[in-house]
Amino acid sequence: MSIKGGDSVRAFIIRKNAVSDWIKHLARKNSVSFPQRAGHSGFRFKPVLETSEIQFEHYRPTLAPPGKQLTPAREVLFKYRKNATADPMLESVLDSQARVLAGVRPCDLKAIDLMDRVNREGFSNPHYLTRRENTVIIAHDCLQPCDAACFCAATGSLHWRANADVFLTSLDDEILVECLSERGIALAQGDHFTLCENTEPHKKRAEALRTQPFGRQFPVPLEQLPAIIAKQWQSRVWEKHVEHCFSCGSCNMVCPTCYCFNVVDDFNLADGDSGTRTSTWDGCMLPNFSEVAGGHNFRPHPAARQRHRVKRKFEYLSQRFQEPGFCIGCGRCARQCTAQIDIFSIVSDLVSQGENDPCVP
Amino acid sequence: MCAMTHPASPELDPELYLPRMASVVAVESMTAREKFFKVELSKPLGHRPGQFVMLSLLGIGEAPISISCGPRHDNILEMVIRNAGSLTRVLHRLQPGARVGIRGPFGSGFHLDDFNGKDVVCIVGGLGLAPLRSLIQPIIAQPQRFGSITIISGCRTPAEELYRDELESWSRMDQDKVSVIRLVDKTANLPWNGKIGLVTAPIPDLKINPARTLVALCGPPVMYKFVLMELKALGIPNSQIFVDLERRMKCGVGQCGHCQINHVYCCQEGPVFRFDRIENLQEALQ
Repeated sequence: MSIKGGDSVRAFIIRKNAVSDWIKHLARKNSVSFPQRAGHSGFRFKPVLETSEIQFEHYRPTLAPPGKQLTPAREVLFKYRKNATADPMLESVLDSQARVLAGVRPCDLKAIDLMDRVNREGFSNPHYLTRRENTVIIAHDCLQPCDAACFCAATGSLHWRANADVFLTSLDDEILVECLSERGIALAQGDHFTLCENTEPHKKRAEALRTQPFGRQFPVPLEQLPAIIAKQWQSRVWEKHVEHCFSCGSCNMVCPTCYCFNVVDDFNLADGDSGTRTSTWDGCMLPNFSEVAGGHNFRPHPAARQRHRVKRKFEYLSQRFQEPGFCIGCGRCARQCTAQIDIFSIVSDLVSQGENDPCVP
Repeated sequence: MCAMTHPASPELDPELYLPRMASVVAVESMTAREKFFKVELSKPLGHRPGQFVMLSLLGIGEAPISISCGPRHDNILEMVIRNAGSLTRVLHRLQPGARVGIRGPFGSGFHLDDFNGKDVVCIVGGLGLAPLRSLIQPIIAQPQRFGSITIISGCRTPAEELYRDELESWSRMDQDKVSVIRLVDKTANLPWNGKIGLVTAPIPDLKINPARTLVALCGPPVMYKFVLMELKALGIPNSQIFVDLERRMKCGVGQCGHCQINHVYCCQEGPVFRFDRIENLQEALQ
């Protein structure tokens, strides 16, 4: 992929029916992922092929968020090969393949920004950051909520732009293409693109088309939530919403801002001398997540684990990273929950509950 | 592709998860469940008391293990390892000459300068003596730099006591500088020359000046609450108490999420915490 440095052109108009050609054009030279229908169970981010159906905008949120492509479910940290006479050969595995994530919604864009911050903190995560620095993002605005589960406006995600290399806004039969980085400019090349000198009228038109109010809203502004939830330790709400929880961890696995992992060794059965150390997704709703050697578990009760998960999204990480919402309001956890538990309802209940009502051990 | 939208930290270490190989130079049984390991690295570990390493065997796994020796100039690392899982079960079968992987040292640890001129009380339960030995050793070795040190060490039965020879030799040192109180919950019909009772029992009788005393605690979760109540009664402020906490850890570098106590990462801000900084942190102690 080439970068045209110093190019001052930043915005274009493209006809809506040309988007598919453009994405496929990019996919001939790059690894491009775009949400595509997968069987009967909705949409997935999958590699774009010549035969792919690129259905811009109208997809229900994918099962796994696009950011998970930066932290695969199984990530080889290093390979080893034992040696009879010397120390083993150890080789760190970093994935520096260039890739394009296209069709990313603002909520998922925010999640990637949050994960960038998490992975840059302290000991920077070389595996995530290497993949991230070789990833270009084409995101697009949402003018209607995806479905009844989404609440992105309430979590401050709907208008997220930071992080996108290219940002698309849909306007009837054409699309405003804003290039927000040098790498974005390099992607928006070709006959399809007509220069746009003034983006403001287009943005105003889009804003007029946007559904108002946009999806579900919390009873109070997002900025007030961390302080309100910080006061709720022994609330009855934790127990109420965990009554049917199977502690299956589905909510963790599909969450764009859940990043906890386990580390396991796998050895190669064919030779017994080589293998890998691999990180695998883990989730704080799983019963043994915080169990230490000897069996003590710091969160043995499902309600305590639920509390940890919710506080992590609205209080703990908010405090650590000075960002009020680590929940981005995509609604995936509620859609996938095997017991129909909805984090939006938990938070709304916590707000209306107000004071502590002792319950959780 | 070139310039990043989000520059990676300049300290990006592509080998963050690669262990350094080290040789086991001694293994000794301490109790039915614990063994003492002495390991030689290729260079000094350069640790502070209270820090930990990630210890691994290729193909088996990796676990956080407390460093049990004080800071050293040589390449030696000492650890006490309880047979408590698949990795430690294999570790217990190792003989001198075996190679193990080490990452670290990690975590906050104790800063010895905080202890300059102070009287120190170390209260340990069970395996808690292993990490606090890394603090006790340098304090005992430099009596002119520190005040007195009192060690209260408790375990269930005499069979579970760690470092008995060292505890006994410390107890024979200058009584003005070093005092050792050894306790068991019960003798279980075994010979015992210490006391019987919980580690909380001797605390009210300690002859200390709260103003110049620092306390370090390490033990099972159930121990902290009761010891802290006794220390409060003695008039020791929470800012003069350090607690060394245990958590599940899979990475050691603040990424895997397992050790998180509310917004705090135990492997980064801990595992040693000044107590006033976590006294309001739910789930920290139990």
